[in-house]
Amino acid sequence: MSDEKIGIISCSGEECLGGTITRLATRKVMEEMRANVAVTLCLPLFLAGGEEERSFAKVFPTISVDGCDKLCAKRGTEKHSGKINGSLDVSKIIGTENALNTKVVMNKHLKSEHFQMVDKVAKEIVKMMDSLDPNANGPKKSGCCCCGGKC
Amino acid sequence: MNFMSEKTKVVPCSGIGKVYGLMAREAVLTAVHELCPGKAETVCLGYIVTGDREAKEKIEGFDCVTVDGCPKMCAAKNVKIAGGVIKEEIKVMDTVKEIKSKNYGSATKLEADGEKVVAAIAAKIAGNIA
Amino acid sequence: MVERYAILPCNGIDKKAGRLSGEIAISICEKCGSGEKPGGGSEILCPVFYRVSDKKYNATAAENPLIVIDGCPTRCASKLAAEKGLKISKKINVTEEARDKNFELEAGLRISEGDKRFCDKVASDALENAPKNEGGTGAAEFDIEFDYETYNKDKFIFRLPKNPGFLFNENDCWAYVVGNRARIGVTDFVQKSLSDILYFFPPDIGARIDQFGEAGSVESAKAVVELISPVSGKVAAINAALEQNPEFINENPYEKGWIAEIELADLESDRELLIGYEKYFEIMKKKVDEFHV
Repeated sequence: MSDEKIGIISCSGEECLGGTITRLATRKVMEEMRANVAVTLCLPLFLAGGEEERSFAKVFPTISVDGCDKLCAKRGTEKHSGKINGSLDVSKIIGTENALNTKVVMNKHLKSEHFQMVDKVAKEIVKMMDSLDPNANGPKKSGCCCCGGKC
Repeated sequence: MNFMSEKTKVVPCSGIGKVYGLMAREAVLTAVHELCPGKAETVCLGYIVTGDREAKEKIEGFDCVTVDGCPKMCAAKNVKIAGGVIKEEIKVMDTVKEIKSKNYGSATKLEADGEKVVAAIAAKIAGNIA
Repeated sequence: MVERYAILPCNGIDKKAGRLSGEIAISICEKCGSGEKPGGGSEILCPVFYRVSDKKYNATAAENPLIVIDGCPTRCASKLAAEKGLKISKKINVTEEARDKNFELEAGLRISEGDKRFCDKVASDALENAPKNEGGTGAAEFDIEFDYETYNKDKFIFRLPKNPGFLFNENDCWAYVVGNRARIGVTDFVQKSLSDILYFFPPDIGARIDQFGEAGSVESAKAVVELISPVSGKVAAINAALEQNPEFINENPYEKGWIAEIELADLESDRELLIGYEKYFEIMKKKVDEFHV
């Protein structure tokens, strides 16, 4: 497994459970499963023009993880940083009914079945990360300083 | 004000990188689902920023309250751009300063003091909802 | 009191106006005293040499009010100063001075007695209006075009100004010296390590601070960090905007997030324990690599 950093840009949508699961799964990958590899990119900041977020996504492999089929993270990333290396739609992993559940959204209401969903999504994220060919989007500049191609 | 719906739209930044993003998210959900059920609704910031017409229709002309976790103020800025009428721009940091603690939790899980901040912000949000 | 300036003339040796630019620089030096007293007098910066090598003149240019002398509207000396990130205290344009003083710039490159008298007059007028080196400088003196070197770690960008005049200590604090005053603050490494800064505790105005003494502190939810002053002196000003907006330090710790201004007590001694941008950049990179932001 390569040690090259991989960006994960995920939705954190508050309107339904899919957003909550997406957020927690991404955090799990970043904190536990691929701590030295995963770099989370803040979606609101990315979309609002965050220089660090966008520069990273232009240079390093980046995957998007969306809580529902609106695919806000995927579309936003593609619009601002070019083609992404992979995308996940959590509603396809945990089922649309679960993803669009608006009754259970807050962290404090989650039960063990929801944490199992988090684990399932986290595993899919890791699977996608591990399968990435860093050169799949064209070779990155060697020794690039993450300038986003400016230098 | 848009008379098609009287619900106030509440939009958190939900930044995934910091505990303040989680506080914003949980505070908004507490206010909307527990303190003011039926009077307010959340709108995903990510969706607003896609620029989709449907997203814009949810915000444009409506009373909005934004909750931002950091000085970048992503929620406030983008709701303004989308045409929302912002009643209050709430900053999580302002409440964090009022409730000093050495451990609020992390961007994944809040500790007790983090929950206190959430409760305080939720009350501020509720104060803006008729 | 002998005034001390850094003087940067253009090098237009193919035109009378350019030749007089150098003559005016010499005249200014003579009027300021030529260094009979230690620390007295002014220094002329050779533009040709300065273009190829910074080291010789960086300290002089940073520590003294800079007078730039352009021969003509091409403004080569002004452009060089801008490239080097220098703050210009006084600009002289020989062609414009000649027009204002109704002096005809004759053809030919030799300097006549008439030319010397003209240069003398321009020098006297310039010194009458030039900012003095004593009494401290205003905020505008610190207003420069920043030139940053960057280091990227994951998605984080760490900036470091490489403008002449910036000095650093290994406690990750910087000092930008203009004349006998220095502006101080923390580097990008500090503000990123702290994450969102919530509080700013400034030093007291008028307080005397030793080099490596405490000059205020900043606090985030993570930690409190004291600003270890790179220089000794008296606190002349603080960045009052930080009291309401401590996040300015996160946004840019070198520009809107500066902490305090110090009237310098002994820069020459302090300098011995400070490091330049190149050395600090290597130190910062190592710290960044070892720290999970």
